[in-house]
Amino acid sequence: MTDVSFRRKARAWGRRQLYSFFSSLGTLLSHRVGTLMTVLVLGIAMALPLGLYVTVKNLRALDLQQDEWGTITVFLKSEAREQEALSLAGLINLDLGADAVPVSPEQGMEQFRAASGFGQALDVFEENPLPWVLLVTPEPVEGKEISIAVAALDDWLKDRDEVDFVQVDFKWLQRLAGLLELGQALVSVLTVLFAMAVIVVVANTIRLDVASRAEEIHVLSLVGAGNSFIRQPFLYSGFWYGLLGGLVSLVLFNLSLYYLRRPLEHLLDAYGNNFVVVNIGGAGPFVVLLAGGLLGLIGAWIAVQRYLRQIRDHGMLGRL
Amino acid sequence: MITFDHVTKKFQNGSRALRDVSFQLHAGEMVFITGHSGAGKSTLLRLILMLEKTTRGQVTVNGRNLTRTSSRFAPLVRREIGMIFQDHKLLSDKTVFDNVSLPLMIAGMRYQDIRKKVRAALDKVGLLGKEKSWPMMLSGGEQQRVGIARAIVGMPPILLADEPTGNLDPDLSRELFGLFRQLNAQGVTVLIASHDLALIRSMGCRVLVLSDGVLVDDIPAADIAGSAA
Repeated sequence: MTDVSFRRKARAWGRRQLYSFFSSLGTLLSHRVGTLMTVLVLGIAMALPLGLYVTVKNLRALDLQQDEWGTITVFLKSEAREQEALSLAGLINLDLGADAVPVSPEQGMEQFRAASGFGQALDVFEENPLPWVLLVTPEPVEGKEISIAVAALDDWLKDRDEVDFVQVDFKWLQRLAGLLELGQALVSVLTVLFAMAVIVVVANTIRLDVASRAEEIHVLSLVGAGNSFIRQPFLYSGFWYGLLGGLVSLVLFNLSLYYLRRPLEHLLDAYGNNFVVVNIGGAGPFVVLLAGGLLGLIGAWIAVQRYLRQIRDHGMLGRL
Repeated sequence: MITFDHVTKKFQNGSRALRDVSFQLHAGEMVFITGHSGAGKSTLLRLILMLEKTTRGQVTVNGRNLTRTSSRFAPLVRREIGMIFQDHKLLSDKTVFDNVSLPLMIAGMRYQDIRKKVRAALDKVGLLGKEKSWPMMLSGGEQQRVGIARAIVGMPPILLADEPTGNLDPDLSRELFGLFRQLNAQGVTVLIASHDLALIRSMGCRVLVLSDGVLVDDIPAADIAGSAA
């Protein structure tokens, strides 16, 4: 008995949802220009954090692993021979527990020839001008800042007689990492700000929509519509706005990416990286659409609740 | 069916719309409320629809004490009442069919059933061919009948009408009141606010007379019928 009445109620609820669903679609379609403008604004607002997010994600993909950053390039004095280079490498290995890879002038020249593209022009040198080089990497120690280990090595190496010059790449990499972290934080802040913007834009649109249909709401409530029946079509509208805004943002974003891909890859290739621009990937588009719809729903809810409360508190149901 | 028990309604600006009004409407009765404009007819109807709350006294509709009912349940109360308005209150961007079907949509009825009931209601008011028309395309009398179809489509036990003939010529008014009487004959309790005294007299129904918010007269149907004869 109660089961039957529950099922009947559920079916009635479903039919009301269906009615609201189509009613909301009808409203959006009957105001095409207004809908389009709102959706465009939402799309642009959502494309900005999306773009920054993917930018940061791409920079991360440059694969900057912490333990490789500590590598110090040690240039020995030009008069230093192989024996001195190897013994210093052994000393670093034993005494300081750091990894030291010696690179001979010949190896260095070979690598330079390959990387620079000067090729045969380098044959002009009668004598190899490059010194012996040691690539020193401190052992990563759990819970110990790599910068401290690098600084200690730097100090120790500078005092050696056979060392000409110590180059630490660590600093700018650290700065880059800092910038990336800042970028990530910026993505978070922008996402929150623009999410709020989406809510506000949808809330305002729905507020105007509600105001322009005050007469209809009045009549509906006179013939026995409850708040949920009145609210429902507007919530669907809000959801549609957000969802379509998300769709537009994805389209805008992909168009921008298409336009930027070539120059980006050129730029990053010049840094010696075989680089492929990463898109949002995987579930990303669905997350964007769903988030858009949800934000729209929240905005619509706020606007309609406010109006319904006004009616209740001030009895704005007008004259009979 | 509808009971007013020492009802007083004061508005926030201090003006008194109703003063100590008591009467009782039995199920199946058809009653007119009359009085000059501003006498409190509309306020009385608004109290029954839970659009206002009483300041003092109790209003009971269909066994439910409205004074003690939360405004959350106002929609449920309104679904048991068919309301007819002087200005029709039709939605101009919806067809006649959609306008009439609103109460059934709100009830979540099946579309097939809605179709049947809407057609039946439109048939009863003589507008069966106008389902797809827009309210603006109809005459005042037709619009009023669409409003009546909407009020009766859910077969509510109570029908309220606020100056239903306000904008109609005498012939149409007479026709409309005939329709009310038909519905009443089928068991619907009907309460009509009107100041069309001649017409009221010809109907031979019980009449409540309001003056400055006070119920000054409650004339039984027998006396009205006598004067009409």
